[in-house]
Formats: sequence, structure tokens, C-alpha cells
Amino acid sequence: MNRPHRRCESLTRRDMLRMGSLAPLGLGLTDLFRLQAASPNSFRAKAKSCILLWLDGGPSHLETFDLKPDAPAEVRGPFKAISTNVGGIQLCELLANTAKVCDKLAILRSMTSPLGEHGLANHFLMTGYKPSPVIQYPQYGSVLAHVRSMPSVLPPFITIPENRSSVAGFLGDKYEPFATRGDPSKPDFSVRDLDFFPGVDETRILRRRTYLAEFDRAQASFEAREDRSDSAFEKAYRLVTSHEAKRAFHLSEEPAEVRARYGPRMFGQSCLLARRLIERGVPFVSVNNTGWDTHENLALQLRDGYSGAKVGVGLIPTFDQAFSALVTDLSERNLLVDTLVIVMGEFGRTPKLNSRGGRDHWPRVFSVVLAGGGVQGGQVIGSSDRVGESPDDNPITPNDLACTIYTLLGVDPNLELHTADGRPVRVNQGGKLIRGIVPS
Amino acid sequence: MKTFAWFCLALWIEDCVQAVDFETDVMPVLTKAGCNSGACHGAAAGRGGFHLSLLGANPNSDYDAIVHEFEGRRNNQAHPEKSLILAKPTGNLDHGGDVVLDETGPGAKVLMEWIRSGVPRGTSAKLTNLKVEPNRYVGTKFPTTVSLRAIAIFDHGVQTDVTDRTVFSSADPAAVEIEESEGNEESEGNIVARIKRPGQHVVLARFLNRVVPIQFIIPLSEKAVDLSSQPRGNWIDEEILQLLSELRIPISPPSSSNEWLRRVTLDLAGRLPEPATVERIVLQDSPDVRSGYVDELLASEAFNDYWTLKFSKLLRFHSLPNDNEGLNAYSEWLRGEIHDGQGLDRIARQLLTATGDSHFIGPANFGRMVSDARDQAELVGQLFMGTKLGCANCHNHPLDKWTQDDYHGLAAVFSKLERGREVRLTSRGAVTNLRTGEPAVPRIPGFLDLDGPGDHRVAFADWLLSKDNRYFARATVNRLWQAMFGRGLVEPTDDLRDTNPPTHPELLHKLADDFVNNGYNIRHTLKQIALSHTYARSGEIIPGNDSDDRFYSHAYGRPLLPEVLIDAISDVTGVTGNFNGHASGSRAITIIDPLEPVAALDILGRCSKAKGCDENGQTNGGLSSQLHLLNGDLLNQKLVDTNGRLNKLLDAGHSDETIVREYYIRAIGRNPTEPESKHWCQQIMDTDEIKRKEKLQDFVWSLLNSRSFLENH
Repeated sequence: MNRPHRRCESLTRRDMLRMGSLAPLGLGLTDLFRLQAASPNSFRAKAKSCILLWLDGGPSHLETFDLKPDAPAEVRGPFKAISTNVGGIQLCELLANTAKVCDKLAILRSMTSPLGEHGLANHFLMTGYKPSPVIQYPQYGSVLAHVRSMPSVLPPFITIPENRSSVAGFLGDKYEPFATRGDPSKPDFSVRDLDFFPGVDETRILRRRTYLAEFDRAQASFEAREDRSDSAFEKAYRLVTSHEAKRAFHLSEEPAEVRARYGPRMFGQSCLLARRLIERGVPFVSVNNTGWDTHENLALQLRDGYSGAKVGVGLIPTFDQAFSALVTDLSERNLLVDTLVIVMGEFGRTPKLNSRGGRDHWPRVFSVVLAGGGVQGGQVIGSSDRVGESPDDNPITPNDLACTIYTLLGVDPNLELHTADGRPVRVNQGGKLIRGIVPS
Repeated sequence: MKTFAWFCLALWIEDCVQAVDFETDVMPVLTKAGCNSGACHGAAAGRGGFHLSLLGANPNSDYDAIVHEFEGRRNNQAHPEKSLILAKPTGNLDHGGDVVLDETGPGAKVLMEWIRSGVPRGTSAKLTNLKVEPNRYVGTKFPTTVSLRAIAIFDHGVQTDVTDRTVFSSADPAAVEIEESEGNEESEGNIVARIKRPGQHVVLARFLNRVVPIQFIIPLSEKAVDLSSQPRGNWIDEEILQLLSELRIPISPPSSSNEWLRRVTLDLAGRLPEPATVERIVLQDSPDVRSGYVDELLASEAFNDYWTLKFSKLLRFHSLPNDNEGLNAYSEWLRGEIHDGQGLDRIARQLLTATGDSHFIGPANFGRMVSDARDQAELVGQLFMGTKLGCANCHNHPLDKWTQDDYHGLAAVFSKLERGREVRLTSRGAVTNLRTGEPAVPRIPGFLDLDGPGDHRVAFADWLLSKDNRYFARATVNRLWQAMFGRGLVEPTDDLRDTNPPTHPELLHKLADDFVNNGYNIRHTLKQIALSHTYARSGEIIPGNDSDDRFYSHAYGRPLLPEVLIDAISDVTGVTGNFNGHASGSRAITIIDPLEPVAALDILGRCSKAKGCDENGQTNGGLSSQLHLLNGDLLNQKLVDTNGRLNKLLDAGHSDETIVREYYIRAIGRNPTEPESKHWCQQIMDTDEIKRKEKLQDFVWSLLNSRSFLENH
């Protein structure tokens, strides 16, 4: 177990058998996990909530957090590296604002996964499990919504603006996220259908609730099933009848200078909305940013945004302003200490530029950034090789990342969840806590 | 001891005059040790400079890689034990992938002997069949263990026990675990499946290019369940009841006439039964009446609308920029074909081969719904073969038999198609095979290269629709089954492969045969299903069958499609939908274009164009749709509409009792019971007319938000 872990997959069946064979010595699997947990890494979880900035499509590690300024041009790509407020750590020149908050970030440069197709990789990164034909694993937000008791009437898992596919897996519809929809940067942004229909007041809403409960009770008794008391309707009912909760979505309450700090575009204002939600006790908010599947023309997509742009408004500058504002804002409000911020996409991009000036899918090594929630900032963990092709040091699998995220959020990775037919499934199977992620 | 063993082996080889064979002896060892898996040397780029074809798909290149590449250092004739191919996996030399082969095990012995005998390429006998024993196991208790054996049959007539070279893998290790004891000089290796949970499980046996599923069935209860005297509507019930009795799952009673009627009307015609229909059918319910009613539904215009919508989603219908004429022609054609009862084989052939002006020739739009030839190959695979070929773009499919040659070859079949308004074949256009870097050779996947001249699309269609080809039939009947039960016999319905076997293999087989023998007629198959007793089971659960979600012991409630739900709300409230650009009174199920902005459809979760909607991802529990039903205009506006049903009933002076009954029968297809009727009348009764009206609105609102209405039971 102490040997450096260098196999192709993080934990093979053989490993499990080998560990299983320790059983005669009176050492079971759980003991092993406990031994691990009792290592110097054991600590008290600080993160109460989590903001996931999901960069959909797979952001290029070589243009963001893992530049290779000394590599040949076809690897190096179009952008330069700049220094940050932490000595020895360099980032892409387009991340100038992020460079100023680098002391709050842990940059993981040795993420590695075998899955290079969007759907599969997405599932792996969001759940820590490789896709299986028999079990749909739940994503972080759904697990957290399931584990945490609900402190507010706001939904426990909110996505801005929405998710394209089901994310709750075997935990079921109840733990699907609430999608805000719409663009928070628009002046008329509001979440649909939060206010009563004209002519329907609270008395009538209450009556509808009573009537509906009677119908559903009748159906359940016919099917000989238990009535589900906490129905989707009940959640909607609680939300629409709470004026306080609904204010979370009113971005117009924020001072103009705060709104400006996050940048005028959708991603920035979505990050601001995420902060308002976290502030009100929502355990998990995911901000989905699309467009990172940059198979062609990196300079246009990542920097410029449109051809001929004088000031770059592409993916990275937009991200840079929003992300740095979020970290700073959370920190100033003393929220960063108990909010874990995760920046990731499903994989990295090929070390060599392709003929269209883009990069294709590359899961063998890529970068993920964590901040807040007890994470030790100002450090790089792991490294990729000279050309950003493979992990050089301390390879980290999405499985390890999941173990780490759950641990930081105070969810025991060994906790058993249950599928609809009662099968126990651990929150995380076989992942290892990333070394050095928390202060020792 | 060891030397003695080698001696024996050598003698044996001498005896048989049969050297170790690369393809049938050596490659299985590499496969079994995981050397050629996608995560190791089977990756497209190899590992550590050593590349093997994924799961041994290409023996020639693998032989080359081992014997010739790297200056031949991977095998060492002078000191066989120093060969990299042996020393690395056994851990005698540093290996990035760790120790994967036991130095003293049979695998290492095969490698050693092969190297000693001069790395022969061998006879390359072709594997013609792989038999596993048992191939289906029905047990009575758990935990239990079952020994597994695999026998390979080669084309030169030799049968060999290849158990120790076969990879057995459990689809669900929490239910079935594969345990193996490696053989030694005294005893042979043994492979057993340890079954840890009751239910239906699958273990896959892989040897060379064959994959055979083994089914394990362990009853869910200790008490035998006798279903032999249960009535059967047709052969479908036979198959379903057999598995249920093997699993010892008791079945729920038949549903009421009302329940069946609502269910079948929604499933076949995408709408609720009219009150008059409910009365007519329920009063005189009998097998003949049901059969007649199913015929009625199958002949209805509603059926044509509904199935046009369903197929349009599979075909990824969507409008193109500034070009609505194409989509209009396409949907008109599709609806016409469905209306005329054309066999699906004919429809498929037109889709595959049509050319011409896409504004007039509907099926010519098939190739315009995708971006290029590769995309079209993926759609064709998904739609007509029920398979996901996508993986084979960059590497051979890890779970299926598809190779890169298959993928790019099928793309090449469509590569000469010009996809403008005028769809035509040109002499230009090629697809590069990413494996070879050369133009791909047009190919029928898994079957035949098409190197002659002519329209290869026709050759593909001929093959797909030939009498013995079941890809298309299996994919189709599986989807029809899903439409009727809410889940396919194989899930997901676009992922049919040996490694993802059906819950009821024999039933899928029979449904496909029956479909082909009846002219690829979807109405025929739908009718078979609709008239089975399986379909007519109640949704009421009984002790012992509550956790069943795939064996059909009781009916499964499933949410209505967003389109169907919106129409049903219109029908019950008596206020038609109002969709921009459509004639008033249009139904949501006729909105074929997913890009047409209809807020209600998006909030309720209609499937979008991009991916097609084969997955059974329908949910109605989302907070957004709940909020929309609660506060939005979709339902609320219709409740207060002055021309709506409620205002009309009130204007006509009807009693609360009549109004309650009217809504019950329209929304959930039955009359209220005596106590229900009494209860609601008491609730609603009010001397204040305005308050009474509000209570009635709230009553209708609640009914239309109840599970009884929102689901098809």
C-alpha cells in the first residue's frame, strides 16, 4: 500500500483481492480505510457549502493553469505565462486577476483519467465513479443534497442556468438540481414562476395543497404504496410562500460596484448569484459555463471572443474576472473559509496544437483548481511532464478528487448510500485523499 | 518440479504436433491480464511506447509489435525469461502497470513456451463458436457458487477448453463476483461465479473476439410462485411469466377496464380517452371489445400524429436556418408513411437512399439532420442498429465488436452525399480512417467491405433489411416495447450489444421475428403487446413484487411526455393550446420542430434536438415544472378562461356532483366512487358563487396536479 501508485487504473480488482486477503490477519477493508483516515491528513471538515464552476467541454490545461513556456511552439500554444502573487507559480497571461488571488488556490496539475469522451468523462469527474451499465451514480450536488438536512426552503442543489442531463442518478428525481434558467446578466432576469398567478392568493394555494394531498393519498392507497409526503409539490409550495427565500434570486439588490466586479457577462453574474445562494445556506451551487471544447482557433475562442475584438472577451478573460471576483468576495465576507470552490471540466486538451489551431480531448493529464473550504492555498499539487502529456508526479484520479471533495465537505467517503432496490453504494470507492490539500 | 512440467508440456506439444499459437493461445493471455485494455497498452496511443490493439482486435499488428518492434527486444530467444513481454508483466523488470501476471501461473507458461518455440505466428485457426457452461443458470438459493467453463470451437474442427484463457467479468460485482484459483501442477485452475444477491444477473465471457453473456437467476423469495395456471393473452405472456416464476415474483391482479383503457389510449394515441369511449368500452369489456378498440386506436389520426412525433425525435428532426420547407416536407412524408401503414423497412430504405430536392422529397432530409458523414453513421447505427458506434471513431469499441474500420467504413458509405437543399451523390467526398490515415473503405459494419462502384447506401440498406438481419428489427421492437411499458427489454434502447443483454432475451428474439414476419408493421407489434395480459396488469403492488422494476409483475407508472401532458390539460380544461404560428386548436404533439420556442414544452422537459431522445430520461418531479404548474399560465390561465369547460358547466347550471364526475372521467378515465363524490361535494359547497367557483378551480387544479393525472399508470 505504501508503494507509489502507478498502475493504469487507480484500483483494480486485483487490488481489492489483495486487500481482501489481509482479512485473515484481522485487518478488513474498513480498517485499512480507517488507517488511512487516521494518517496526518485527518482533520475537521470546514466546508459547509460548495460552488462548482463547471467548464463544460474540457478546458485546456496548457492555456490556463499548467503552461509550458519552455516547450516547442506547437505545445506551448499562443499565450505567455505570467507570475502570480505566489513565488514560483505561473499562470496564463489571460488569468491576470486570478494571479492576484493565487495564494488562495490549490492547483492540481496531475489529474489523470482514461476517459476522453464528453459524456463518460463528465460522469467520472462529477461522481468519482466511472460510468457503469448497471448503476447511475449521483453527482456531488445530489449527494450533498441527500446527506445534508435542509437548513432553508431554498433547494439544496441549484444549477445556473441548467443541466443538460440527469445528475441525481440512483438517488432519484428528488435530488435533481433546481435550474434557475435564464441569464442573470440580463436586466429583466428572474426565476420563472416564483410569484403567484393573478387571482390566486395564499389561502387558495393552501387549499390546493390540501386537495392535492387527498388525491395523491388516494392513488398511493390504491397502489398499496406509501404516500410520499415530501413531494415535489411540497418543495415548490414552501419556496413560493417564502418571500425571504425568493429574495436570494434578486440580483438587483446587489450594489452596482459589486455587480461590476464580477463582470457584465453571464458567467460573472452567475457566480454572483451563486454567492447569494451560498450565503443563504444553499449547500451546493453549480455554475455551468459552456464552450470549452476548443477543437479549433484557441486565440479566438479562449482570448478574443469574437474576431477583431480589441479587448478579449473570450472564455478565459470572462472566467478570470468572475472567478477572481468570487474568491475575493467570498474571502472578504469571511465565507471562503467554509465554502469550497471547485473549478474543473471533464478533461484537458492535447499537448500538440492540431491543424486548425485548436486542441482535442486529452484526459491523461489536466488541471483542477480548488479554493476555500479548508484547502491550503498558494500551492501546486502534482505536476505534468515537460509537454503536458502525462502526469509526472503524484497522479490524481477523479476518484481521488471525489474522495477529497467529500472529505472537505464533511461527507464520509465510506458512507453507504442505497439504490432504489436497497443495494449499498459507498459515496466514494477506493479514492485517496489528495496529499497536502489541507494544512498538516 | 518446474522443469518436469516444462518437459511434460514439451512432450505434449510434440505429441499433438501443435505449437503454441499466437492468436488462440498467446493473445488470450494478454487480454486476460488486461495488457490490451483501453487503460493500458490498448489505448490509442499505447503506453510506454508499446501499443497493442484494443482487446486484441488486430492480431497482425499485435504480433508485429511484440515480435519485430523495438528491435525485437520484447522477445529474447537466447534467454526467454528475459523477454520484456514476460519479464515486465511478471514484475521481474520494472513495469508501469505493475505485476499483472503470476510468474508461475499458466499464462506465463504459455508465453514462455511460445517464446521458446521461436515466437511462431501459428496456424491462425478461426474461432467459430464459443460455448459457455452454464449459459443460463437458475438457482434456488444464495449466496452460492457456480463453476464456469468455456469451450472454444475452431474452424479446423478442434474443440478446446479455454476456461483459463477466457475473461469472465461481472456486470455488477456487488451481485456476482468472479473468483479464480489459478491452476498449478497438481490441479487445474477453476473459475467460479459467487452469487451474492438474488435477482437476474449477467456475467460476460470474452475469448478472442467472442463475447457470450451468462444469465444467473436467483429467486427473490423462498416461497415458490406458481404462475402456471395464469391466463395467457399471447406468447408474450408466456415469456414474461416464465421469468417471473423463476424469480418467484408474484404478479398483481389485472387492471380495471378503466385503467387499461386510459393506459392504452395514452400509449397508442398520446391522448386521454373521451368520456363516451370510457362508457362504451367499460360497459361491455371483453377480449373482442379490447381488440376492436386497439384497432380503432391504431387507425386513428391521433395515432398518426403521436407516432410521427415519436419517430421524429428518433430521427432528430429539427429546422435548418432559413429553411422550414425541408422539415415540413420531411414531417409530411413521415406522417403519410405512418398513416398509410407502410412497413418500417420501406421507410428505412427511403431514409437511407433518398436523394433529390429536400423541399419536396421528404426522406431526402434524413442526411440533412446531421452535420457530416460520421455523424450520419452514428445516427444510422443508433437508429437502425440500436448501437452506439461513436466510440469506434477514435478506437475500436471497448464493449462491442465495432472497429474503427467499421465506423469510418459506414461513414464512407455516406461520404459522397451533398447535404444542401438538393441532396445528391457526388463523385467527391471521402472520410479518413483515423486508424490508417487513408480514405476509409466503405463498409457494412462487422460484415463486408463495399469496394465496388455504385451507391453504397443501397448495398447497406439491402444488407440491413435482408431477411436474416435482425439489427433493425430488434432495435425497433425494443423501442416499441419501451413505448408501451416505460422501459425497454434492453436499456438504454440505443445500446444493444452482446455485453448489454436484454432482461428477456428470448422474448426480444420472438418479437423481432414476429415483426419481420409481419412486414415490419409497427401496428402489428403494438397490438400484440397491447393485448397481452402483461400489459393489462394493475399498478397495484402486492407483497413480494414492490421492488420489481423490470420483470413486469405489475404496471409501472410513468410520466406523460410534455407534449402529451399539455394536450391533456387542454382537453380536460376545454381550452386549446395557443402556439405561435400554429392554427388555433393545434395540439402540442404536432409541434415537430424542437427548435420552435414553446416555453411550456421546455420547462416540462421536452427532449432537445442535439442528442436525440432515445434515453428514457423522462421526469416530472422537477421543481421547475412543478412551479410552472403551480404559478405559471399553462394551467392557471385555462382554469379561468371564460370559454373553458368550468365556466361553461357553471353557466349551464350544473351541480357540483355533475362537475366533479365530469372532471374525474376526463382526467383519470373513471367515475368518482360514491365516497369520493360526496367528499368533494362537501368540500366545494358554498353559498357564495364566487367562492364556489374558486373552490372548483382549485379542485380541478389539484386533480390535474395529482399523480393519477400526471402519470400513465
